[in-house]
Amino acid sequence: MKKNLTLIILGIVCLVFPLVVRSDYYQHLAIIVLIWVIVGSSWNLLAGYTGQVSFGHAIFFGVGAYTAGIIATKLGISAWWGMMLGGIAAMLIGLFVGWVCFRLRGPYFALGTLAGGEVFRLIATNWESLTDGMVGILIIQSFRSKLPYYYIVLLLAFACVFAIHLIMKSKWGYYFVSIRENQEAAESLGINTLLYKNLSLMVSSFFTGMAGAFYMNYMAFIDPEVVFSLHYISIMAILVGIVGGVGTIMGPAVGAFIMVGVQETFRSSFFGLAPAWISQGHAMAFGLLVVFVIMFLANGVVGDWSKIKRYVFRIKPSSVS
Amino acid sequence: MRVLKILMVFLLSVTLCFTFGVSSSMAADSVKVGIVLPLTGAQAKFGEVEKLSFDLALEEINAAGGINGKKLELLIEDDTGRPEVGRSVVEKLITKDKVVMLGGGYSSSVTYAVAGVCQQQAMPFLVNTGSADKITTSGWDWIYRLNPPASHYADAVESLLVATIKPKTVAILYENSLFGTSGAKAFEKTCNKLGIKVLLKEGYEHGGIDYKPVLTQIKRLNPDIIYMVSYIMDASLLMKQAREMKLTPKMFIGGAAGFTLPEFVENAGKASDKVISATLWHQVLPFPGAMDYYKKFLAKYNRDTEYHGAEAYAACYVIADVLKRAKSFSNTDVKKALSETDMMTVFGQVKFGTWGKMLNQNKADTYVVQWIDGKLEMVWPEKASTKKFEYPVDWLKVWGY
Amino acid sequence: MDVLIQTLVAGVLIGGIYCLIGIGMSLIMGVMGIINLAHGQLMMVAMYITFVLSSYMHVDPYFSLIVAMPALFLLGCFLQKYLLNPLMKIDSILPENQVLMTVGIGMVLAEICRFIFTSDYKTVKTSYGGEAFFIGNISFNLPMCIAFIFAVVITLILFWFLAKTDTGRSIRATAQDKEAATLMGVNSTRITIITFGLGSALVASAGSLLIPIFYLFPDIGGPFTLKAFVICILGGLGSTVGAIFGGLTLGIAESLGATYIGMGYKEMVGFVIFIIALVFLPGGLVGIKRLIKS
Repeated sequence: MKKNLTLIILGIVCLVFPLVVRSDYYQHLAIIVLIWVIVGSSWNLLAGYTGQVSFGHAIFFGVGAYTAGIIATKLGISAWWGMMLGGIAAMLIGLFVGWVCFRLRGPYFALGTLAGGEVFRLIATNWESLTDGMVGILIIQSFRSKLPYYYIVLLLAFACVFAIHLIMKSKWGYYFVSIRENQEAAESLGINTLLYKNLSLMVSSFFTGMAGAFYMNYMAFIDPEVVFSLHYISIMAILVGIVGGVGTIMGPAVGAFIMVGVQETFRSSFFGLAPAWISQGHAMAFGLLVVFVIMFLANGVVGDWSKIKRYVFRIKPSSVS
Repeated sequence: MRVLKILMVFLLSVTLCFTFGVSSSMAADSVKVGIVLPLTGAQAKFGEVEKLSFDLALEEINAAGGINGKKLELLIEDDTGRPEVGRSVVEKLITKDKVVMLGGGYSSSVTYAVAGVCQQQAMPFLVNTGSADKITTSGWDWIYRLNPPASHYADAVESLLVATIKPKTVAILYENSLFGTSGAKAFEKTCNKLGIKVLLKEGYEHGGIDYKPVLTQIKRLNPDIIYMVSYIMDASLLMKQAREMKLTPKMFIGGAAGFTLPEFVENAGKASDKVISATLWHQVLPFPGAMDYYKKFLAKYNRDTEYHGAEAYAACYVIADVLKRAKSFSNTDVKKALSETDMMTVFGQVKFGTWGKMLNQNKADTYVVQWIDGKLEMVWPEKASTKKFEYPVDWLKVWGY
Repeated sequence: MDVLIQTLVAGVLIGGIYCLIGIGMSLIMGVMGIINLAHGQLMMVAMYITFVLSSYMHVDPYFSLIVAMPALFLLGCFLQKYLLNPLMKIDSILPENQVLMTVGIGMVLAEICRFIFTSDYKTVKTSYGGEAFFIGNISFNLPMCIAFIFAVVITLILFWFLAKTDTGRSIRATAQDKEAATLMGVNSTRITIITFGLGSALVASAGSLLIPIFYLFPDIGGPFTLKAFVICILGGLGSTVGAIFGGLTLGIAESLGATYIGMGYKEMVGFVIFIIALVFLPGGLVGIKRLIKS
């Protein structure tokens, strides 16, 4: 079918990308995009599908990253084990966060998770015996070439998106959406909303934690302000989801590509084609993009695709796409 | 789905954009060196002083014939004060811009992260400001450092304390970044060695508004000296609030950085007077070109310079010297030339060696400066001083009470 | 003993400024249910206005309140009318769009200021900037005391406005029950616009009062937005009285935390209180009062 064909082509492009584009710099960008595909999709599972808008996904990312970093520096175990352990650690922390925050609804849940993210950042900064505080954790990368990293994160991203796809197609998916639409109604129908909210959170935090651990392995340096950052991790995850399209499978992937692309395009002054002062504008571009998307494309690029088609391509909605 | 088709077209066109949007300079007769500095963010002021110094030196070097006839080109990139940005920027400089070596490195955390990348990519990196010891004690042989490490910043302060103040107790306040933490740890060690009791050692998060709580505690503990390791704005606030609290130890000592910038006296005003600080350079030092550099900088940019600027200026000359001597621009040849460096600069003699656990470290002296009537005067060691060290200080009188 | 008193004094004084920040957000949250993540950035804009007036026209920061507050009022009204109100009509999956819109607005505001003023730290120097007077052994920072007095005055004016004027009463009515208020003839669209403007003006006053004590840079907004939340939740949403308690409580708690736990943990105190309040005190401190009554 047409849909499968385009997916297959996309898959092939992803697989051969680093072999065709040999520049380290662009491979780096691709890896960053894939990290955000994972984090964005995970966030989307909890927020877009289950309706629990988390402003604190940095908690899971940071916990995953620090798990990998701490076992590498304090226990001498390779940080790669941190991928699995990081995911599990993040999941456990997720249960705790859920226990505290799920009694809160809507915007209060958002605020609670936001505060949670900051608390974890401050703990990581001050618990110097465990985390070395602001000094951060630095390890030596296992591979000099970016290729292994690319394929590992690609595999992880694929697993994450596929898992979410399977979950949403299953009964769990229905429960999640029902909780998003109307939690009381779902409860009255006999759905154990607390259980399913937690399940959603566990999957979400697991993958985010793994992404964090991968980040530790790849960037080889983390500190509390980097991985527990409200602005650069939590809010970025939200933006990736929103711009791409909440409540869609491919939305966050598209969002990741757009957000990282916009950021880097500006930071490097349109790759050297534009005057230097433009590089200062990337945060502004972000802000304007957010305002624009929320005003006009509230369901993201993927969610409001038909709207984009209508306005950009002047295609009237005449058939099922 | 149409979405994915459009996405692929986008991807393709962007990729084409990538390959054509190449970095501007493709001149075959210029030698490119990458410089990583914080041009925006919390440390922008320091980055600015260093960038201007690099620019000044670059002009002079190229006017004098550049690198054996080839133009020296500095690609100065902004690390925004964040380590992960520093890493990306450096990766770009190494792989995309193909620089022959790297220089700069202001914040310790950023420098440390960047040095890790350079070590891995076998790219010679001449650090001129990042001071955390870790940078040269990690066994990274591609990293060379011009400035002394944080553990030695207070060497001159140490001799000053022993000779004049002879304190028995100290309170140490520091920003909990890599720089502050290393500086504080190093000073604590010095105090233990000299038998000075550390009554309080506390880290704070930068950007605080109100330091009164901790200053109140310090006032109650009544230490002989207070040692602070801070960047610019915190330094000013600390002194302003100390003045408000009438906190009067025998002496306030800054661990360099924020305490030597002109912005310190601008922002702290009266509260900055008679405060002393460790420093790594002063324009009156008997190094050829030191006073000239100070005067040239002042004339060209209409602002003062201090040790950070001198480090950058000297580093630029070292880079030029290294590249002139290097047999080729391959990384191993540049590294070899770096190892063989032995030259006099405005910052002093530069020669890299192995000291204790430190690799490729230049041995530089430190000095003590004191703010007297709004000017930063060198007061220790005495033989090089511009003004006599003013001590004891009647703080309440100085502060206008 | 002195240490404790000094800590409390410092906490109360900074609490005054926190109150102004918190009341503004409390109003906005109470009336519109919007979490305004751009609150700190609005304060930043006011601080830059104050800075410009001070540097180029030598206007004392306390006088620039007269300019900054109306300016931010207008800005707030503009933002609400053109960017936030329209969102209420859009049908989207997640209702949190308003919050995210404020994130975007905050970013744009910060970047515009960064573009104009660069990331440099700016300060406003006043002759009384670092002055302090002493009662016994306790040091009172003069600008902070003045700020505290202004905060009290502004709060009192606000209370009078909310209690005695028509618009004020309409605002309170809308906060209590929007539908009922509309049925009573209150133009809720106009009220939301005015409320956002009012909230912005209040946080603007906090900014002008803060600038002689602190310094200014484009990223100053973030931490203050977070503090505003803590204050609101602590005090009880929509309750101006609660925000006052919240502001003072936060100021004192931070101060005590800094003295007795450690300066590094100062920020954490706020967040821990926040989470505790969120979980155990859904109605805030004012809620406790109601609980006791019932």
